Amino acid sequence: MIAVDLLFGALVSLLCGLDRTALLQVMISRPLVAAPLVAWLLGEPLVGLQVGVMVELLWLARLPVGAAIPPDDTQVSIAGTVLAISLGKALHADSLELLLLCLLVAIPLGKVGQFFDHAARQYNVRLLNRAETALANGNLFAVEFQHLRGILSFSLAAIGTYSFIVVSGLLLIPLCWSLVQHPLEHSSSWLQLALPLVGVAVILGTINVSRALTLFCATFGTAFLLMWLV
Amino acid sequence: MSLSRVTRIHVWFRMLLLQGSWNFERLQGLGFLYALLPALKKIYRREELLKVGKEHLSYFNTHPYLAPAVAAAVLKLEEQRAAKEELPVAISDFKEMVAAPYAAIGDALFWGGLRPLAAGIALFFAAKGILWAPVVFLLLYNAVPIWFRVAGFVRGYRLGVQSVEFLQRHRLPDWAIHTKEAAIVVLGGFSAFLVFQQLQQQALPSWLGLFTLLPMIMLGLIARKGVSTLMLTLLTAIIIVLAGLFWADLTSWVAL
Repeated sequence: MIAVDLLFGALVSLLCGLDRTALLQVMISRPLVAAPLVAWLLGEPLVGLQVGVMVELLWLARLPVGAAIPPDDTQVSIAGTVLAISLGKALHADSLELLLLCLLVAIPLGKVGQFFDHAARQYNVRLLNRAETALANGNLFAVEFQHLRGILSFSLAAIGTYSFIVVSGLLLIPLCWSLVQHPLEHSSSWLQLALPLVGVAVILGTINVSRALTLFCATFGTAFLLMWLV
Repeated sequence: MSLSRVTRIHVWFRMLLLQGSWNFERLQGLGFLYALLPALKKIYRREELLKVGKEHLSYFNTHPYLAPAVAAAVLKLEEQRAAKEELPVAISDFKEMVAAPYAAIGDALFWGGLRPLAAGIALFFAAKGILWAPVVFLLLYNAVPIWFRVAGFVRGYRLGVQSVEFLQRHRLPDWAIHTKEAAIVVLGGFSAFLVFQQLQQQALPSWLGLFTLLPMIMLGLIARKGVSTLMLTLLTAIIIVLAGLFWADLTSWVAL
């Protein structure tokens, strides 16, 4: 039942999408939480955990500072998980290769999240103007209402991003699955390793700490030697 | 007059929706007014309320976890203004004065330090297939922000303008550096763990793992030059898939 899977995905996408900016910021929007949550609802929590490990670190170094909008890793992880689980059932291919293909399709499409988020924030300027008019007219209820409508525009941005990634994935992945299945078989476990390591490398390159490289190499070397020798 | 506890709790809960109407013109301005309104309605009469409301609808942007501290101090100042007491600083000046430094401190401490640290620790659990990993992350991460949201609000209301000293006393910029360093240490250990696990699964010699540092440092340097994560991810994926195909062909030729 792909439709039910997609619906559960949409609910989680809405909930976690709002946590990114509009509500709470308790970090249920992080891929490490959002992906296992939707996967648990779809009955395969381990798939979500795998997605969480691969996506969590990728854009962790992109901070939502001021007006900066980082790529939407929340919707990438949710849509990637939903695609992997639902297409796994449809294509009878419950494998790491399909999971990786879903993620490799979802990751670039996550850029569209920035566009939707930008549009929501742009639309909220209108709400601000309406709130100003309402305040001038002495209508405080309308001021509060305009603020709450802002949450609605962030909801639409989250659902829009999720829908775009999922629909694109449903169209693209079945078409190219047979083509890339074989090449991915030779490299799937290395790709699974590479994604979090790319994320760590980006954090290492962009974190503002003077001894970052020394600390990282020392810890990596020590931990590795300990595991090797013990 | 002092605001009742119920009103203050109401404002605190509304601060959780501070960024609900975030926009490019005044950022959190509308959200800040929305949060303060239940208290302002108690402090001011209608005409004054509209005038004060207009003031608070101005540009405002700070870190969402430290915003309750600003809001509570502003409420204290509003009470003093309503009682015609002399204010230590104009309310709009106070907001301007603290918003940017609080934002910088919060971004560095919470987004830049605490988040990668909590994620790094929780990822160990996730990589081992432990389903509680997301809960570990949420508990590790949220303890500090929730404390700041609550304690900042309580101290902000109690101390007013002097609540700035409360945050200064905690030397948050130093803590931001410490948490970032700790995050790097944890991520170093996590990377080593992933590489070691992979080599074991592939039955390859463990010492090969030490060579992983080289491409990681290279990728880090490229990222520092401004190349996007997306580009790095896709390039790495293409190289690995092509290398996998080449290796498969090579081993089949050797077998022949």
